[in-house]
Amino acid sequence: MAERSQPSANYRSWPVITALTIVSLPLLLMYVYLFLDTVTVKQADALLPSGLTLNHWRFLWQTTEGKANIWQVTVNTLLFAACTTSLVLIVSSMAGYVLSRLNVPARGFFLAGVMVLHAFPSVTLIIAIFIVLQMIGLYNSLIGVILVKAAIDLPLGIWLMKGFYDTVPWEIEMAGVVDGASRFRVWRSLVLPQVKPGIMALGLFSFLSGWGEFILPQVLAPGNQVQVLSVYLAGFLADDNNYDFNMFKAVGVFYLVPVLLVYALFNKYLMNIYGGGSKG
Amino acid sequence: MKSSRTLGLVMIAPAAIMIVLFFLMPVVLTAVFSMTSMTTATGISGGVYQIAPNSLIALKSAMPDIAAEMAEPRYTIDDAGLKAVEGLGLAPGIAAELRAKHTGEVFPTRRDVERMIKDLAERPSTREVKQISEQFNRSVLNTRFDSKEQLFSALDSLGFKLTPEQKETVARVTYTGWTWTTDNFSRMATSPDMARVLFNTVLYVALVLMLFNVGYALLLAILTHYMPPTPASIFRGIWLLPRITPVVIYVMLWKWLAWDSGFISILMGKFGYPPKNYLLDNAYNAWFFVVLINGFIGASMGMLVFSSAMKAIPKSQFYASEVDGASRWQQIRYIILPQMRWPILFVTCYQTLSLLASFNEILLATNGGPGNATEVWALSAYHTALRNYAGNLEYGLGAAMALVLVVIGVAMSLLYLRVFSYGTLVAKPLIED
Repeated sequence: MAERSQPSANYRSWPVITALTIVSLPLLLMYVYLFLDTVTVKQADALLPSGLTLNHWRFLWQTTEGKANIWQVTVNTLLFAACTTSLVLIVSSMAGYVLSRLNVPARGFFLAGVMVLHAFPSVTLIIAIFIVLQMIGLYNSLIGVILVKAAIDLPLGIWLMKGFYDTVPWEIEMAGVVDGASRFRVWRSLVLPQVKPGIMALGLFSFLSGWGEFILPQVLAPGNQVQVLSVYLAGFLADDNNYDFNMFKAVGVFYLVPVLLVYALFNKYLMNIYGGGSKG
Repeated sequence: MKSSRTLGLVMIAPAAIMIVLFFLMPVVLTAVFSMTSMTTATGISGGVYQIAPNSLIALKSAMPDIAAEMAEPRYTIDDAGLKAVEGLGLAPGIAAELRAKHTGEVFPTRRDVERMIKDLAERPSTREVKQISEQFNRSVLNTRFDSKEQLFSALDSLGFKLTPEQKETVARVTYTGWTWTTDNFSRMATSPDMARVLFNTVLYVALVLMLFNVGYALLLAILTHYMPPTPASIFRGIWLLPRITPVVIYVMLWKWLAWDSGFISILMGKFGYPPKNYLLDNAYNAWFFVVLINGFIGASMGMLVFSSAMKAIPKSQFYASEVDGASRWQQIRYIILPQMRWPILFVTCYQTLSLLASFNEILLATNGGPGNATEVWALSAYHTALRNYAGNLEYGLGAAMALVLVVIGVAMSLLYLRVFSYGTLVAKPLIED
């Protein structure tokens, strides 16, 4: 982003900036009001707040009747996102290496398969997965959803890691092998450090996507004990009578802040994936 | 090198196992389930055979007299009934005579069996006759049989003379579990509801894709390309927000904007319009918001792909064109757009599939409403199989609908592999022999 073509100014940039700002206004407005509404009092028909309050955040210390405890739900979400991420990272960093460097039977077939799966309407499989989990008794357990979510994220992970391994020079491995290290050791201590950006990107992506995942937990683990934040929040949204929209927004902010933090801190790694690092 | 081959197999095994178990198997099972009549009513494991009133109604059209017979009770002089008679505390001769002379006999009506009982040597009173006959009432109505064999032997012992074909018919209509069928596909092909959903889906994909995923994304990429770095990165950051925000919060924000107590209502209230739910007010509004909600998310990916592609265009081309006096528009028209062919094609293909399969946002925002106005294919499959107003979840039909998407997905990705020349992608990496 540092070097950018700066051709001579044969047009003014402020009209364009103004136009873009107007188009972006709904988005900005929504996010600004999201934060504002959680800490202020507002009359029902007013646009601007009239006072400060922390009352909307009371869900942090008191549990609504019939709803799960927010901390329990947060722990579940963290557990879900973290387990999915580690599973995806471990499995795809191994599989990506194999596809990039080692000669295994049916390699081409596997690669094509991964490519096809990557562009696959995975959410539509949820019906079959629901029936299967009910049959084998993993319905309403966190383990079931974690496995399913990790499997759905795997094709992207494998493809991305393979792309990163492809850029590692051969010589590094040659040096290791000549020095008498086993192939596994070469991968573990020489190659793996080279693809750190890829691991970071994939890990962040997996975490964010697991943290925000809605439909899988909603269908496969809706119970109060295993609920995650998205399902908890959707429960509020569906509860038409007796909703407290500002408290609902406070839960939303509580849920969103980790995402924004992770994004703000690591966005240059994450760009590897969003920018199409794997696809060009 | 043998060892690297083994290592490769070991290292790829977890991925292969997970993908097969949780990805490929569900695909295959979707196909299997789509060929069944599975619903909540039939359950997902096997069912039982039960001659219930509604199965008799089904039977009536095929075999009216047998259905009528089955609806009536039958009287069989069997061991269980005899024991029960002995337990009634009547004169002992009655049971003994029944056992000796009548065991195994079947009487088609209550009148017949009661005539027989009246003629017994002991001459039971009318009250006793009723009591005794009741012990031999062997109606098949509402009894459950775990297997076909049990059903058939019960029918045999009650004296129904059925041919094997008739038995099969009875078994078919009395089975409460799911069966193999292709009905799901013919229902999909003929139902007007499905045609409506299909139309919605095409409209939804086309609108979001053209307006936002490609159109607006391209505009955004070009505009930020010519901007000073700081505003450019600010705008890119803003337009990435929808993508990184968890979908539930993102949709909540839109609801807040459009609800009857939301921002638009309050703003319009200042000008004297009564508050209303702009999101679900009418079909046009719902569509407007559905397209916006999905489009704002979709714009980001296109923007990033296009931006990085533009960055790859050699700067010298821009400088050279400027020396020749090209305007911005001419630069866009003759330098940028021709070199964006592949990224545009890629984003179009990729996002078509994403849009076809995505329904989270619509589910949370309008849930297909108002009426069925914004019900798209994937959402409809979800509703049919997993969240149904009628309460009877039609797993089979839902799976069939999902299968259609799967088939489209596979077909299109195979097409991409051709278009984006898969061969060159695979050939590149270093492979050890």
